[in-house]
Amino acid sequence: MNKRSFRRALAGIWWLTLLFLYLPLAVVALFSFNAANSAASFTGFSLRWYQRLLGNEEILSAFANSMILAIVSSVVALAIGCLIGYGMYRHRHRKLGWLIVLIYLPIVLPDIVFGISEMAFFVQIHRLTGFLQPGLPTMIIAHVTFQIPFVALIVYSRFVGLDPALFEAAKDLYASPVKRAVHFMLPTIKPALISAFFLSFTLSVDDFVISFFTAGPESATLPIYIWGAIKKGVSPEINAVATLMLGAVAIAAIASLLFSRRRPA
Amino acid sequence: MSDSMTADASGKTPPTSAARVAPTREASAIELQGLHKRFGRDTVALAGVDLDIEPGEFFTLLGPSGCGKTTLLRILAGLEEADEGRLQIGGRDVTDVPPHRRSVNTVFQSYALFPHLSVRDNLAFGLKMQGLAAAECDARVAKIAEFIQLGDLIDRRVDQLSGGQRQRIALARALVCEPDVLLLDEPLSALDAGLRSQLQVELLRVQKRLGMTFVFVTHDQQEAMVMSDRIAVLNGGLIQQVGPPRDVYERPVNAFVARFMGHDNLYPITARDGDRVTTSLGQLRVEQAGDGELLLIRPETLDLLPGDVEGPNHLPARVVECLYRGSHAEYRLAVADTTLQATVNNRGRHLPEVDERVTVVVASDDLVTLAE
Amino acid sequence: MAYSGTLPTARSRAMVREARHLLMTVAPGASWIVFFLVLPSAYLMSVAFMSSGTYGLPEMPLSLESFRQLAGFGFLGWSPGNLYTLLRSLWQTLVSTALVVIIAYPIAYYISTCRARWRPIMLLAVVVPSWTNQVIRTFGWMNLLAPGTPLSGVAESLGLIAPNMGLYPSNFAVTLGLVYNFLPFMVLPLYAAFEKLDIAQVEAAQDLYASPLRAFWHAVFPQTLPGLLAGVVLVAIPAFGMYVIPELLGGGKGMMLGNLVANQFAGSANWPLGAAGAILMLIATFIGLFAMRRIGKRLGGGEEVVI
Repeated sequence: MNKRSFRRALAGIWWLTLLFLYLPLAVVALFSFNAANSAASFTGFSLRWYQRLLGNEEILSAFANSMILAIVSSVVALAIGCLIGYGMYRHRHRKLGWLIVLIYLPIVLPDIVFGISEMAFFVQIHRLTGFLQPGLPTMIIAHVTFQIPFVALIVYSRFVGLDPALFEAAKDLYASPVKRAVHFMLPTIKPALISAFFLSFTLSVDDFVISFFTAGPESATLPIYIWGAIKKGVSPEINAVATLMLGAVAIAAIASLLFSRRRPA
Repeated sequence: MSDSMTADASGKTPPTSAARVAPTREASAIELQGLHKRFGRDTVALAGVDLDIEPGEFFTLLGPSGCGKTTLLRILAGLEEADEGRLQIGGRDVTDVPPHRRSVNTVFQSYALFPHLSVRDNLAFGLKMQGLAAAECDARVAKIAEFIQLGDLIDRRVDQLSGGQRQRIALARALVCEPDVLLLDEPLSALDAGLRSQLQVELLRVQKRLGMTFVFVTHDQQEAMVMSDRIAVLNGGLIQQVGPPRDVYERPVNAFVARFMGHDNLYPITARDGDRVTTSLGQLRVEQAGDGELLLIRPETLDLLPGDVEGPNHLPARVVECLYRGSHAEYRLAVADTTLQATVNNRGRHLPEVDERVTVVVASDDLVTLAE
Repeated sequence: MAYSGTLPTARSRAMVREARHLLMTVAPGASWIVFFLVLPSAYLMSVAFMSSGTYGLPEMPLSLESFRQLAGFGFLGWSPGNLYTLLRSLWQTLVSTALVVIIAYPIAYYISTCRARWRPIMLLAVVVPSWTNQVIRTFGWMNLLAPGTPLSGVAESLGLIAPNMGLYPSNFAVTLGLVYNFLPFMVLPLYAAFEKLDIAQVEAAQDLYASPLRAFWHAVFPQTLPGLLAGVVLVAIPAFGMYVIPELLGGGKGMMLGNLVANQFAGSANWPLGAAGAILMLIATFIGLFAMRRIGKRLGGGEEVVI
């Protein structure tokens, strides 16, 4: 096989893989505009499923729950994770193996074990004390738990990339500890904080398994609602909800591309 | 803009501008007593340092890496705490004062300019942190920018600057705070040779004009000699010698200082008889014999006469190697059963060639004896 | 001055200050993870050693009954159901990881050989589908594999499936779903490995070995091994514990360990049995991580393999 046909074969594999990756998503989007109530054939263009969506209280409340969960958990995780990331940086010369293990634990633990552990724990705490009834608060706790490591690692790696003398320059230039945090550290790691927030937000909106096991009857998020609808029997409305979520991801993808283009470093 | 233009054109700023930037108060003295510092269990950085630095002095801490010079500077800045000992700046004990409350500023080796701020905001950082009003900040930043001749750099982003430009911004950022003492941690080591010597001169002029106390750290003895009023040579966490550059270079107190200042011609003294000392070179008369165990002969003090010439402090020698440097030539000579380095200025006369027999003439008042 | 006596303690004062700083920054996050993850998982593990009581909730006395049940022993004697589920999990993990490697390897290589300005866009194109919700992605495949769709039609005409059955639920659909889900996780580390490839070594190999295949095997493949291993960790460990994909695409006969565990906390509740299954999953996870670390260290690229 010569070089040219080798490249051509590679390009073929590339385009086939792209087809493989986007076909299922394209089908969902396509059928959300289907006039017929069928997943098997496309009969004509219609926006009726989107119209139905707007009148569906369940979906709207699931959307609200998803947003509240994502925003609140990301903010909490940002504060806690930022502190821990700074602590890891500042004390990086110590033996912090136990902390590293702790931080990687939420990342390596299988979703299902994570979710079930939390559920079993919350149920028992609730039985014993009456606190922590399954619902949005328990979901927020669970989400913060898996967001903290990502925030901490992003913040930590930003600090590690800085010239250590900068911290000393800030001290040297009369900045008290509080002023150092406000005028030097936070502005310097702002890009890291922004990307940590968006990552946390995305992880939260994306999560199904952990939410599913920590949710209460009133706190279904969009993925949980979609799951329920699929289990009950497919309704074309799901295509419409799913397409809207895909659209949000597409916008995020384009934004991240533009953002990375604008800042070559 | 026009101000900086005139400053650029004349090449020197009128003395009044120095007065505007410099504090009207007296420059500060530094007093160190019994400073000790260990890192971890075994690493001794400072093993008892006592030092007085005069007001308005350009003082250099010189030594190889790991000698404790940077630790000493960091203790002055407050970035490191001494295990033991006291530190006074301008008559005030600042041993326990944190860095942000010390009227001391540092020019860092890596410059440490804040990447999230423009040049202007970098310059204003220290003033803002001290709580100065915005108008006063702006005025002082403008003055320092003119004084250091930053020109249109002031509105650039930090990552658009070259190494030399960063260096000058770092200097300006520290000077604008008008500290009692300015500390410089190998500020020129990241620059190439040409720029380096240019900035050495610039730095020296700034210091003379401001009359501020500068404490400068370097491992380069040439740089130390060019710039300093006085030099402290450090090794192993101890000060070996303190003095003006000429003293340290011409009258080193021990072998370490001599070698660090670039001297190779050191010969153990095997016997002495009054002002006559015997080394492997032979017997030589020394003006001030002292009681050191080593004899130092500086290569540039030697004269080479062609052929064999008899006389006091005349040594017969053979040329082993000759390196022609244009302005001068460096010789390696075989004398008795050892070798001797000599430097001969090129005055257009005959320069001895390899294998030529010559006579080395040593002036007795150029010889120094020193401790091991 | 009134400072005498404070000097020898300067060091210990600094140490106390540093320790307090460490505590203040790290304690909130560390205790959050301890309280809301370490304690819950410790509790879950302890549940595995209790008996199943009313509604399947854990009860005293301590027993190993749950592990017996997990191995298939029940009221009606031994049945192979759980064992099949376990083997299926292993098999699906193995097959899907292998398929992911086979697809991702040429893709990652191809991206690394394209023009520099296209590479980020190509990587993004591979990654974006994994940003979408897993449930939605899997739902997309349900649409594609349902009875009456073109894909099912092709399979039917080839005689692969019975008429009007559709391609899901089936083990095949689960494998497909797993490959789809984890492909980006393999492409990224492999791409990173290809991008760092030492071209001089490859050229030297082309000089030394006659065939391109041998040059690849001796010069290219070893250099990409750390990336490959990182990808295997990122794919195999979550694949083994997968819940959503077998639940939606597998049906009763496509169940994996994750579904077995989850079911014990819903419908037919038996917490101790579920906890025992979770312990099994944890053991597999840590064996996987440990093995990769060891292999990674031997390869010298240890840093990368530890994710």
